[in-house]
This record gives sequence, C-alpha cells and structure tokens, in this order.
Amino acid sequence: MCTGRLDPAIVAKAFKKGLDGLLVVGCYFGDCHYISGNYQAQAKIEMTRRLFEHIGVNPQRLAFKQCSSGEAAVFVEIVNTFDATIRELGPLGGDGDAVRNPALSEKLATAEAVLAGEKMRWVIGKKTPFTTSGNMYGEIFTEHEFNRAIDMIIVEETEVQEILGQLRQKALSVAELAGSLAIPPARIFRYVTALKRKGFVALEGISGRSPKYKLISQEVS
Amino acid sequence: MLDVGRHPNIDLLAYSEVQHIEGQAGNFKVTVRKKARYVDEDKCTGCGLCSEKCPTTVVDAFNEGLGMRRAVYAYFAQGIPSTRTIDPDHCRQLNGKKCGICQKVCQAGAIDYTQQDRLIELQVGAVIAAVGYDVFDPAQIAEYRYREIENVVTAIEFERLLSASGPTSGHVYRPSDLNAKAEIQVLEKQAAKSGRMLARFEKKYGRTSADFFMQYQAAPTDDADQEKWARVYQEDLARKERLAALNDAVKDAATAKRLAFIQCVGSRDFRFYPFCSGYCCMHSIKEAIIANEHEPQTVSTIFGMDIRAVGKGFEEYKIRGGNKSGITYVRGRVAEIIEGPGRNPVVVYEDTRTRSVKQEAFDLVILATACAPTRGIAELAATLNVALDDYGFIKTVPSAPVDTSMRGIFVCGCAGAPMDVPESVAQASSAAERAAEIIFQSDPVKEKAVA
Amino acid sequence: MPENHASDIRIGVFICHCGSNIAGYLDMEALADFAETRPHVVFVQRNLYTCSESGINEIKKGIQEQDLNRVVVASCTPRTHEPLFRSSCAEAGLNPYLFEMVNIRDQCSWVHMQEKTDATEKARELIGMGIAKAALLQPQEIILSEVQTRALVIGGGIAGLTASLSLARRGYEVVVVEKDQALGGMLNHLYKLGPQMQAAKELAAETVQKVNAHPKITVFTRAHVTQVKGFIGKFEVTVETQSGAKKIDIGIIIVATGAQPLVPEGLYGYDGKRTVTQFQLETMLAKGLDAAVRHVVMIQCVGSRNDERPFCAKICCQTAVKNAILIRRQYPETKVSILYRDMQMYGVENEAMFRDSKAAGVRYINYDPADPPQVKADKVGVYHPLLGRKMELAADLVVLSTPLLAREDAHETSQLLRVPVNENGFFLEGHVKLKPLDFATDGIFLCGSARFPANIREAVAQGLGAAARASIPLSKGSVEVEPIISVLADEDACRGCGLCVALCPYGALEVRQTEKGRKVHVINVACKGCGICAATCYQHALSINSFTDRQIEAQIDAFLTVHP
Repeated sequence: MCTGRLDPAIVAKAFKKGLDGLLVVGCYFGDCHYISGNYQAQAKIEMTRRLFEHIGVNPQRLAFKQCSSGEAAVFVEIVNTFDATIRELGPLGGDGDAVRNPALSEKLATAEAVLAGEKMRWVIGKKTPFTTSGNMYGEIFTEHEFNRAIDMIIVEETEVQEILGQLRQKALSVAELAGSLAIPPARIFRYVTALKRKGFVALEGISGRSPKYKLISQEVS
Repeated sequence: MLDVGRHPNIDLLAYSEVQHIEGQAGNFKVTVRKKARYVDEDKCTGCGLCSEKCPTTVVDAFNEGLGMRRAVYAYFAQGIPSTRTIDPDHCRQLNGKKCGICQKVCQAGAIDYTQQDRLIELQVGAVIAAVGYDVFDPAQIAEYRYREIENVVTAIEFERLLSASGPTSGHVYRPSDLNAKAEIQVLEKQAAKSGRMLARFEKKYGRTSADFFMQYQAAPTDDADQEKWARVYQEDLARKERLAALNDAVKDAATAKRLAFIQCVGSRDFRFYPFCSGYCCMHSIKEAIIANEHEPQTVSTIFGMDIRAVGKGFEEYKIRGGNKSGITYVRGRVAEIIEGPGRNPVVVYEDTRTRSVKQEAFDLVILATACAPTRGIAELAATLNVALDDYGFIKTVPSAPVDTSMRGIFVCGCAGAPMDVPESVAQASSAAERAAEIIFQSDPVKEKAVA
Repeated sequence: MPENHASDIRIGVFICHCGSNIAGYLDMEALADFAETRPHVVFVQRNLYTCSESGINEIKKGIQEQDLNRVVVASCTPRTHEPLFRSSCAEAGLNPYLFEMVNIRDQCSWVHMQEKTDATEKARELIGMGIAKAALLQPQEIILSEVQTRALVIGGGIAGLTASLSLARRGYEVVVVEKDQALGGMLNHLYKLGPQMQAAKELAAETVQKVNAHPKITVFTRAHVTQVKGFIGKFEVTVETQSGAKKIDIGIIIVATGAQPLVPEGLYGYDGKRTVTQFQLETMLAKGLDAAVRHVVMIQCVGSRNDERPFCAKICCQTAVKNAILIRRQYPETKVSILYRDMQMYGVENEAMFRDSKAAGVRYINYDPADPPQVKADKVGVYHPLLGRKMELAADLVVLSTPLLAREDAHETSQLLRVPVNENGFFLEGHVKLKPLDFATDGIFLCGSARFPANIREAVAQGLGAAARASIPLSKGSVEVEPIISVLADEDACRGCGLCVALCPYGALEVRQTEKGRKVHVINVACKGCGICAATCYQHALSINSFTDRQIEAQIDAFLTVHP
C-alpha cells in the first residue's frame, strides 16, 4: 500500500472523530515504490489543507513531507517539528483554529462530504495532467491558476454540501437556507436549481409564497 | 534458516556428517552419519523444559564460553531444528550417574537415552560443500597474550557481548569483571555453607570460632571434630579475604568504553595465514559502531595495516563510523599487548604516520581474528576427493568460481575462501545454479534411507 | 465473499519478546493485559521468540485448540517475518490473509529505548489498531499467473553471458541484448586477468563462441531495449535491433549492463599519453610497452574516495598490482611504484598477488589524500611517510587508477525497468545482504559490475547466481501474486467514469462494456495494490483487499479510543 491510498474523505472523518494532527510522510518524487502514488498523496493533502483553511481548521494540522527510508535523521526531524507544531496548536477546535467546537464538527462533516464528492476527486486526480500535459483542450495550467480554480471549487462544493446537510434534516426554502447558511439567496437559488436538475433535491411544496425543497435519498452514499 | 527448515523440498540432516561418497556427477551415493541426539526429533516440540530442569551446567560454546548452558540444550535460541540435544560428555545419566530428570519432565516423551548413531544413504546428483570456516585461535600469537589478559577478546566473543540475546544482554562488561562476579557468586555460596558449619560448631562447643582457633593453634589436639573446625575456619578466613579483594575490584565495574580493535590477527601474517581474511575490517567497524550506539560515550581505535572497506557502501560506512561513532583509524601493526593497572590492556604499536612507537591503555581489546579453514576440511576433501589450495580452502579457479576439482561437487562461501555475507549469498546461488545444471540433465533421483 | 458474524470472530494475539529486543524496553505484561481487553480477542500469549519453531508451534496450537480465526502477531517487521507467520497460519488451516502483523520492535522498542512508558503506550495503540483491523479481515486466495519461459539478458559482458549460458543449459530460451557491436564487454578491452594472468580476449572468445553456438540463445548486438511493459512472467519487451523493432514476450529479465571507467580529465595532468589510466594501460600492454619506458608510477584512488565520489571502487588496486606484476615480468628493467592510500587486496588470491608483486620488486608508497602526489614533467613527487620526507620518483609513464563508474545510461535503464539505482548510480539490489542479485521488483535480477565493480571471479559467480535466482520462476512455470490488490467490490456503484484508469500507474485497470454497462476491470497480476484507485473512486466501488475503507476506519477508531 502507498500514501496514494490515502482517502481525503477518511482524513476529514478522522479529524471529526478527534484527531488533532495528521502527518503523511511519503517517498521523494521519482523514488515512489508505486511510481506516482506520492504525487497523488501530495495533491490530496494539499487540497485538503486548502479546504480545511476554508472551513476554519488550521491547515498546519495536516502535512505532507518526504524522506527516504535511509534517512533516519531527516525523519526524526520531520516528526519532531510536526509534533511541536501540533502541541503548540493544542486540541482541535481550540485556540489554534478559526472555528471552535462544536461548530467545527459540523464543518468537518461537510468537508468529508466535499472530499468524497465527484468533482473534488476528478480535480485532485487530474492535477498532475492539468499542470503538466494539459486538459483535453491542451491548456496547461500553472500551479497558481490551478490553485485559484481549486479555491473556487472548494467554496462552491462546501456551500453545496452545506445546503444538502441542511436539507437532510428538513425541507427548507431558499430564503430559509440563505438565512441559516449566510449565503446570498441568489447563489442558493443557483445551487438549488443545479441540484434539482441533477436529481439531488426536489420540490416538496409551497409554503406561503416560497417553494420548499427536500433531499432525494441517494442509493449510493 | 526457518525457511530452510520449512521448505518441502529440503530435508535437513542436522548433527550429521558425510562419511563416504561414491559415484559421479549426476549420480552420487552419499553415506551420512546422523549422530545420536538422545532426543527423538519427531517427538520433541522444542519447549525447553528439559534444559530448564537439567542439573548439569556446561560452558556454552555458542556464547564463546562467556555463558553457561545445560547438558541437554539447544545450540542457540532460534536454531533449526529446535530439537534439543543431550551432550553425552556431560549428561549424568549417560555417564552412569543417577539422574533421568529430563526424561521425567518431558511431556512429549522425546528423551531416549538409548539412541544410537545412524547411517543414512542418499542418492544425489550434485554436492555443495558449504562447511564455512573456523575462527583462528589467537592464543598462538604469544605477544597478544590472549587468555593471559582477561580483557583481550576475539571479535566473535565481542559479538556475543554486544548481542541483546548474549550473556550480558548487550552491555559490554569486561571479562575480568564478569569472571570476578562469577567467582564472587561461587565463593559466596561456599561462604554461606561454611558459615552454617561454623555456627554449628560454635553452638556445640559454646564458644566463638576465633577463640577456639587461637587456642587450637597454640595447642592442637587429635580430636577429629576440632581438627575439622579449625580447617573450615581457616578456609573461611582465606575465602573472606579473597571475596573482599574481588568485591573491591568490581565495585566500580563499568562497561568498557575505550575499545581497541586489532586487525589482521593471524591473517596477512607469514607465521600463520598469509592471506587477507577480507571481512574483518568491516566487522570491526560494525562492532565499533554498534558499541557506540549502545553507549554513546564509547570510543574505538582500529589498528590496521590497510583498512579494507571494499564493497558496495563500505567505504562510506567506514567514514561514517569515523565521523559519527567515535572511531579512530590508526595505520600500523600492533607489536604487543601488555596488562596495565586496573586490568586494562595496553597496546604497544608503531604509528607509521608519525614513525614512533606508542603505548595506549584501553578497557577492552578486540582481536579481529583470521578466517581459518574449518577443522576437518582435509578429511572432508579426502572423502569428497576434491583438491584444497595452499591454505586448506577448497580450490577453485576465477573463471569457474564454485567448481571444485571434482565434477558435480561445488563449493560456496568461506569453505572456498574468506568472504562476507553478500558475497556468500551470491555464491550460494551460483553453486545452486551449477548443481541444478547437473541435476536437470540427469534422471530424477530418489532419496533412500537405510539402517 | 462470506462474512463472519461479529460474534464468530475469535482473535488470537501473540506478543513477541524477541529475546530482550522488545521485552527489554516495553512493559510486556501491560501489553498482554491490554490485548485481552480488546473486542473479539479470545487468546493472548507472550513468546520469547514468536518466529522460533516453538513460537510458530504455539500459533498453530492456538489456531487449532482455541479455534482462532484471526491471528495478530506483535513483533518485528512484516518485511522479514510476515511471510513466515502467514504461511504458519496456512499450515494450521487458517487462511493466511486472516493474519495481521504489528511492529512493536522497530517502531517502539528500538526507536524509543529510553522511554519505556511512552513506548509501551505506542505499542498499545499499534496493537489495538492491529486487532481492530484483524476483526475485519477477509480471506484471500493467492493469484496464479503463468510464466513465459524466455529470459532477457541486458548486456553481453562476462556476467550476462555466464547467466545466459546457464539458463540455456537449463533449457530456457534466452535473448541477449548488447548495445555494442560485439559480445564480450569489458573483457574485449583488457589484456590479462589476475591472478592467473589468463588472456582476457581468450576467455571472452571462448564464452562468446559457446553463446553463439547455443541453439537456445538469440543474440542481438547493436541493439537496445526501448520499452518494457508487463510484469514477472509476462513482460512485453521492445528491442530496437539492426533489423528494426522487435516485440518479444519475456518471463524474466537479468540486468548485466556493466560499468565504465572514469576518464580523469584534469586530474594529475592526465593526457592519455604520458599519463594514462589503468584501462588504457591494458591496451598498451597488449601492444607492447614502449622500450623507452623505464619508470612507471601508478597512483591509486584517482577520482574516488573523495568528496565527489566517496565510494571505493573495489577492484582498482588489484588491477594496478596485476599490471605492475605484468610489467615487472615482461620488462625486468622497468621499475614500478604504486602510490596508494589503502591497498585493497582483500581475500586469498588478491593478497597472494600483492605478495608476488613485492617479490617481483614493485615498490609501494603510502600517500595521504591531504597531501597527494604531484605529477611533474618527468617525475612524481610524493611524501614518503616511513622515511618522513618528500621524494621524487622518476616517471616516464604515470598510470592513474580510476574507479569503475555506473554507466551513463544506467538511469535510463532504471526508468525503463522501474528499478532503483543507488547514490552512485549503481543498480540497487533488493536487500544488500540477503538478496544481492534480486531487485525488489519481481522477475528482474542483476549481476556483475552493473551492481558494483566486480572482478572476473565475482562477475562469473554473480552471473551464475542471477541465473539461479531467475530460474526459480522459470522452472515453476508460474508465479503466485499477492492478492492484496484492487477489487471492484461494488460493481453496481461503478459508473465506468474512468478516473481510476487514468490514474493507475501500472495500467492495471481498464473499462469494459458489460451487461450492466461500462464497468472497470482489474488486471490482477498487473496490480501492485498501491490503492490510488480506491482512494479516488467517489462511488466507493473499488477497494483494496486487506486495506479496505472499513478496515482503515476501524484502525483510526481504535487509535482514537485507545488513546487516553
């Protein structure tokens, strides 16, 4: 098994369950026993760090480092540094993070859903080709351009998952969603329309003058 | 080792010797003497209860005489097969004395005092001699005073001292201290016994032993009882004196922290073996590095003519040893080892770089002994009808490195010449290849056991 | 796949003392007590050496007598011992993949020797995680794959040719690919070989003749391997030959690409005329030395054992001594001095040659790398440590002993075969001591100077040895593949999107049209079980045997709950 086996959704889940820090140490690029798994691991951790920052978890709680099996001293240094960082930050959802407990737990549940989602996984998986050989139109992204696109996707995906999270509890109108999630109603409306088209949500009924939307249960979780 | 023991295509005949061989490549008939273990291999589970209960202790050859084992024993802990063996030279039962404890405690019923050597006949296509080597006995080098100076040990003895499963659990205590402690134990046991005896006398006669002895010395009597009392008391006094001296000697006993490694002990020496044993420079460096890992204050000096760190990564290892593990390399041959104060061996050597004769005291001196042809190799060579080289290794030529002078008989490892582990492993495959070339040309052979 | 009811799961935990390697540094009793409290654990035992025959018997006894259906061993590294414990389980009738190993030696007792409490705590966590995973393990069956009984040998030097001949004699087809125009390799350029002073070209010719005459061996000279696809038993190799590209099905590959001597540009006034390398001297000796050469000075360790190349190239000393003897014997009037740091004349034959050279009048002077010899117009200056002064040696010919280096294209070969090289560019074997002729990758072997500079004896021995190693899969005709690979665990969930296919580094996945639509298919023998696909599949359709999401999450849960 390889660091490439690391599923970012499981990472978010572990934090939700009380992990304070996660250090992933892989081979150097070019030295991966599984050829390219370490590139994947790095892309996944990098993406997850950005998402964490967005939802209010200190991204320093997550790190991807590299060393070879012959470099005991390097490894010790990496571990000690990371250990010191986490001790400094203290337990998750405390002073070290932008969002506190228990709100953070809900945020992490959203993050888990985002990281398990189709869109994020395509983007993570395709990072290397996008930044090296280009997309299907032959456009090669710089690291900077790619990260900007990622940040946009992170915002959108988080908001979508938050909407789904709310609807999982009960049917709500656009205005109600906008109120509880602090997202402008126009954006909520756009998301809900898209979700409706994809068959994730449906109209439940009209309450007053506002339509209420409900979640359609998905067979595959 | 365990893999060999478990492989379905390998029949392991441990504690056995080749007695006779006839035939030719592709069809040899080999007679093997399977020596009596006095333990049934099929029944023994290797639980070790017999060794635990055996009343006879014997000096342990595997731990280079630095520890003890019982008369029923396993050569070493992870040995294959794990079947115990009774040492017929020391077993009380086999020497006509009353015992039989192991038989009583063995739940598997594996002990068999009547077991005899067995002769087994094998039909084989090819033979590989992998009989290894013996460590050169450095007592032959008078000026190094091995055995005279307790704190001069061989590299293989030092290996046992460093080993976590060795007699000192990996702490490098000096043999002088270990021996003193062992003697203290024996003396204390004796002292306790004589103490009880003296107490009985004192009670019987209602006076102290000292009083009695003073009077007895002035006026000896013929009374047997009194005679014995005086003798025991006198011995006790001497014993206490010795104990005090020993306890004084070991009271500050610490692990050895200044080590000297002496290279080419018996090798590159015209009096003994003119060849270079190849691996000793590296094992001295390795032992020095491990000793330093065990105790970071440990410093080592390696005395050698050339430090032959020859092999993949070896030179780098040597340099790392010097930089990080407190090793100093001195170019020169050690002339003599003498014993200095505190039982410290003192090394007398010429430093060829400064052209001066120097002396330096160490806590422990380790002799990197030569790789000597194994005892009995001449007999084996005669049995197999293979030629030996000038020194007693099985002879080969460079363009056919594992072929002996006899077709179908191959050699690998130190039986052919001194070599290190990677080289031995590679050669083992080479010999297997040559043997396979013979075997797969001939008809399949079946093994047959007789007698 | 049949799934045990949780209540049926009976885990046995064996905790190894490893003599005092583990027990000396951890609280073993506490670990055993802890293990007993974990869910599904019905049997806990401590062993002095779990890997000893008696320890193995205890595991078997546990399986049989305690009816264990999961076994956890907490001991050393799975790298060395997992195969043993697994097969022991199998021998006792338990599927070997219902075994889980926890490393409390390397990860606890060894690295935290001074911290008994913390090390014990860490061992508790690791054991707890191992047990949690064990409860969810599923039985797996080993995958068998056929082996093409044809070998590819890259490099036609003495090591490669020896290996080729051995395999051919055993009845296997061999394809030799040599980039030069002739077989023979380095031997073609050498004069005589120590210590027997055998003519190198004769040995080469004799071997090449045998190779060419052997019906089982196909030789391609001036050829290159350009592509290697596949895996042990089923490599698909493309060879660019003089008559165009050829695709060949191969079972195993032996790398015998040799090494090349350093050209010491800028060192000791190297000019290839008056100051030459040992390699050039071989040719000069073959032609006959110029009569005017009366004083030869050889300098050892030129371009090696320095900061740039810290390694000792092993065979340069014996080459120098051998050539010095040849000069002394053929030109008794010519004096030879060797300036050296350590004379690396290891072993029986080399040391004998060293003694012979002294008897033949070769002079040796030790030099300090901090004060190296100076090559001047017709002299070489050097500090003589035994005399304690600088001296000047007459020198008509200066011979530099330069190291053999990894071939320039070694890195390319390494990428082509996906096998590693070390920091000096030599190919890196699977295990320095125990697998000197194997790569970590199954089905690829190495021998000769491609591994590290080797003399004739070593190169031939390694050629034979590599052939022996390679013949194991060839003679079995099949290989067993670890079933710890990717599986399509939930076919209905798979949408055939192909993201996993795009990311698989081994080309082990493909999308196939099935009755249920487009679905991914795993090519078992090509899969190495890295798990990228399972970590990527947003439908959770793919999973990795013995590393499922559930098992990983169970380990995380165990870690978070064991931890105070």
